Amino acid sequence: MLACTNHILVINPGSTSTKIAVYRGAQSMFQKNIVHSEEDLSPFDKVADQFEFRKKIILSELRDNDVELDCIEIVMGRGGLIKPVPSGVIAVNERLKEDLRNSPLGEHASNLGGLIADDIARSLPNAKAYIADPVVVDEFDDLARITGHPILERKSIFHALNQKAIAYDYARAINTPYTELNLIVVHMGGGVTVGAHHHGRVIDVNQGLDGDGPFSPERTGTLPIGGVIGLCFSGKYSEKEIRKMVTGKGGLVAYFNSNDARHIEDMAKAGDAKAKLIYEAMAYQVAKEIGAMATVLYSNVDAILLTGGMAYSRYFVELISERVKNIAAIHIFPGEDEMKALAKNGVKVFMGEIKPMVYE
Amino acid sequence: MQLERTLILVINPRAVYTRVAIYENYNILFLKDIQHPDQELGRFSHISEQLEYRKKKILAELENNNLCMDCIKAVVGRGGLVKPVKSGIYKISKALIRDLKSSEYGEDFVDLGGLLANEIASELKSEVKAFIVDPVTVDEFTEFARFTGHPEFERKSIFHTLNQKAIARRHAKALMREYSDMKLIVVHLGSGISVSAHDRGHVVDSNQVLDGDGPFSPERTGSLPIGDVVRYCFNSGKTETEVINMLMHGGGLKAYLGTYSALEVDARVNHDDPEAIKVFGAMAYQVCKEIGSMYAVMESEIDGIIITGGIANSRWFVNEIIKRVEKMGPVHVYPGVRELDSMAQRALEALRDEVEVLEYK
Repeated sequence: MLACTNHILVINPGSTSTKIAVYRGAQSMFQKNIVHSEEDLSPFDKVADQFEFRKKIILSELRDNDVELDCIEIVMGRGGLIKPVPSGVIAVNERLKEDLRNSPLGEHASNLGGLIADDIARSLPNAKAYIADPVVVDEFDDLARITGHPILERKSIFHALNQKAIAYDYARAINTPYTELNLIVVHMGGGVTVGAHHHGRVIDVNQGLDGDGPFSPERTGTLPIGGVIGLCFSGKYSEKEIRKMVTGKGGLVAYFNSNDARHIEDMAKAGDAKAKLIYEAMAYQVAKEIGAMATVLYSNVDAILLTGGMAYSRYFVELISERVKNIAAIHIFPGEDEMKALAKNGVKVFMGEIKPMVYE
Repeated sequence: MQLERTLILVINPRAVYTRVAIYENYNILFLKDIQHPDQELGRFSHISEQLEYRKKKILAELENNNLCMDCIKAVVGRGGLVKPVKSGIYKISKALIRDLKSSEYGEDFVDLGGLLANEIASELKSEVKAFIVDPVTVDEFTEFARFTGHPEFERKSIFHTLNQKAIARRHAKALMREYSDMKLIVVHLGSGISVSAHDRGHVVDSNQVLDGDGPFSPERTGSLPIGDVVRYCFNSGKTETEVINMLMHGGGLKAYLGTYSALEVDARVNHDDPEAIKVFGAMAYQVCKEIGSMYAVMESEIDGIIITGGIANSRWFVNEIIKRVEKMGPVHVYPGVRELDSMAQRALEALRDEVEVLEYK
């Protein structure tokens, strides 16, 4: 029965789908993206209410595909909007589940990851449930927390899972410990986060959800504060509408009603002047954030790593690199593989490389 | 026969005082900060209402000092919140007066500069010319710099143009180079802080110092987390004016340490006050991040970083900046401001027809 060890079930709930995968070590054995139609999800008021529905579909998918459930030793769920935590793997406990159900930061599909992982692990003979590197990973230096007013704090909310995975991959590739490097990692997806990784800790990053930084396909990033206050008091919009403007309907969506950066790039290449200008403005703002993070690292940067979907675009990468070329060498890690990143965290637990943390 | 003298009156209104100076050629003959105590300013609900009051105080001050009023050939005022314009010296026109008086482009005490210059020039003699130089709305942004993450908002060029340009020109001159050939990052450290990218004579990007973005400063917050600001606006129970006063005028050092005075904070830092060290350090940290952004704006190729303004007198603060950015380019420190010199110099050049006087329409 040697083959039946080190199996990892990975569960990654998104807003309109649930990705599942089974890994043996870092080797993927089964992957499935279960799409949920609007009809499927419409009966549920709250994301947390989708728990049973998503769990049942996952279990039946696993059964239909003859996955050997008894072999699974780790169920790894995508982490959610919980309290700030250090980077790493966290065992799912009652406190964690409580915060995933009643998130201090608000509802998010990823909150279901840990909850479903725990429930499935309990039904299996040999399995334990974990989450890894949720978006609230917080390794900030105190300097980074301070805003221009004591009632507001800068928070660490970013694509921790992918940023850390890419940083480790790069460190391994150059045979240098991650904890000895100064890296700027740029995740370019629906949101964009630019992190300053100082000797293994992300000591500053733009708050990629609704805080600051470059605009992105779906989010506004930094806006002029006076203008935002004016809009809030204009009586024209509700709080919910304005928050939606900032997080889901900002950036490219606001300008083009499309969050597809490739589509905007094609328009730009076909000669659409507005598309070209705004696409280049987006790269310009990403470059400015990279420059900012360079000073966080005292201008001692070993490498700039570009990752996420937009890193596939040679044009976009070129626009950024012409501005930041003298800061450090640029390396491209296109796309993101959250499933693999989660599985690799599971492997580290198997290998004893990291000890799962207790959430308090 | 005595040569006719040419004096230039310079007026720079600040929140609680008006700074006036008389120049003869490049030399300053007279300098005075005319104080406006709270009990006097308290009578006015709008800044524009202070015009008569400040004018009378200025004229009285000049008369008391036996200055040759007939020798004044030009009055130059600090330029205010007007239309976006190109850098240079402007004759005070009807359109300019209209825009300085209206609050369409914002209301600020700097608006009084042009208005006072105009009023005082017409009190003196008909041939006395009135100018403003480099108003805060000088706009040389590239197209990229104007975009925000939403078409509802535009990034605007509002920063300490006058002092930044004056220092940058002076720096270029000291190196025997042309301002229009250099790539410089200029950092103005005053009650507001602006960090700007001067790309061969044009300020192509800058944080918006009034109520926009960038580092926090002695009295302003700079960038804030947007989602939290929205939540605060809707849920704090405060009115728009209250929120604006709190975030825009009572932010930064004032909010954390109870003082607008960076010099006082500097003294506290030198006495190892941990709270002062934390907050002053964070302000320097944010200034550095803005410098880094402007470095990327200029393709990470610059001739130097210039630090100016009152806070540049704080050795501690300047050192905090230097250690983070010195690898990007040489750092030059010019404490204080050069606003008056620069205004007088441009006015003199205008009187001698050495520069083009621009028309505000």
